[in-house]
Amino acid sequence: MREQWRLLITENKTAYKNMAIDRAVLVANSKKIVPPTVRFFTWSPPAISIGYFQSLSDEVNLEICKKLGVDFVRRITGGGAVFHDNELTYSIVIPESHPQIPKNIIDSYKRICGAIMKGLGNLGIDSNYFPINDILTNHKKISGNAQTRKLKTVLQHGTILMDVDVEKMFSLLKVPDEKIKDKLIEDVRNRVTSIKHVLNSDIRFSDVADAMKKGFEEEFNINLIDGDLSQEELELADLFERECFSADDWNNRR
Amino acid sequence: MQSKSIYKIPEGKLLKIFIDYNEKNNSINEINITGDFFAYPEESIETLENELKNTSLKKEILLSKIESIIEKNNIEFIGLNSEGLVEGILRCVR
Repeated sequence: MREQWRLLITENKTAYKNMAIDRAVLVANSKKIVPPTVRFFTWSPPAISIGYFQSLSDEVNLEICKKLGVDFVRRITGGGAVFHDNELTYSIVIPESHPQIPKNIIDSYKRICGAIMKGLGNLGIDSNYFPINDILTNHKKISGNAQTRKLKTVLQHGTILMDVDVEKMFSLLKVPDEKIKDKLIEDVRNRVTSIKHVLNSDIRFSDVADAMKKGFEEEFNINLIDGDLSQEELELADLFERECFSADDWNNRR
Repeated sequence: MQSKSIYKIPEGKLLKIFIDYNEKNNSINEINITGDFFAYPEESIETLENELKNTSLKKEILLSKIESIIEKNNIEFIGLNSEGLVEGILRCVR
């Protein structure tokens, strides 16, 4: 019989809650309270997340964020700054020792990205893994991914772009040199795409979620069963939201 | 003296280093290693920053110190490496 993993769908959460849920699921899975878990989610209000090692004030234009009602949060994963707006964000939490997860970190990125690529394939989109942490379609980035390993547990989360507004993204992020900002925007416009751009039509979150669910089931030969956060996870998520992800000393620590 | 460098690691990520250094002794007072790279475990970056305090800004000394911290703490970098770190640090003082 196929292994059963849990599927969570949590739309329209804040950046702080989203990052808190990922960490809460990681802790719960490490205690073997919950099975391997895949989550699909969105962000409301839209938000910037930055990598664990990035400097908030060096990467993010905080004044513009506040003016436009965009939240910002530091992740527990490395990687770069991401503007989360029209996208499906996924996360997967699974023990490091699970036979489906390669020990080597790059290999495990590739394996988990395999589920996303199968999901995109289900939407009629060909894509390939581009090390370290990107998925490309027609040489353009459609998904960025980041992984951490804590408590002998893997957490990988990533974004699957449904639409993209490069101009808005750049108004929220700081660039090293304002003089070349226009060229940078043009560069990124040529290097980033989205499901909407590839398919030339709008797509609903639920359609992307269905395609991704099948992608994970195919890649890992498992069944994803709809579930909810456990009571312990809800309490942990509240705690992490309050004491970590919404706290200035966490977000400004670098 | 405070300084900053931005250095794209060949085949890797964008490293941004903020440094406060002692010009007289040519050594590090404080260092902040930031960027869009990956390091496992993540908290090891703080260990690295702490252990680099008072380290000489001579290339060979920096490199061997960084390599010994990486080995001692079992740090795995992705998109970053010890040579890249040294180059990023030295670009702050050039």
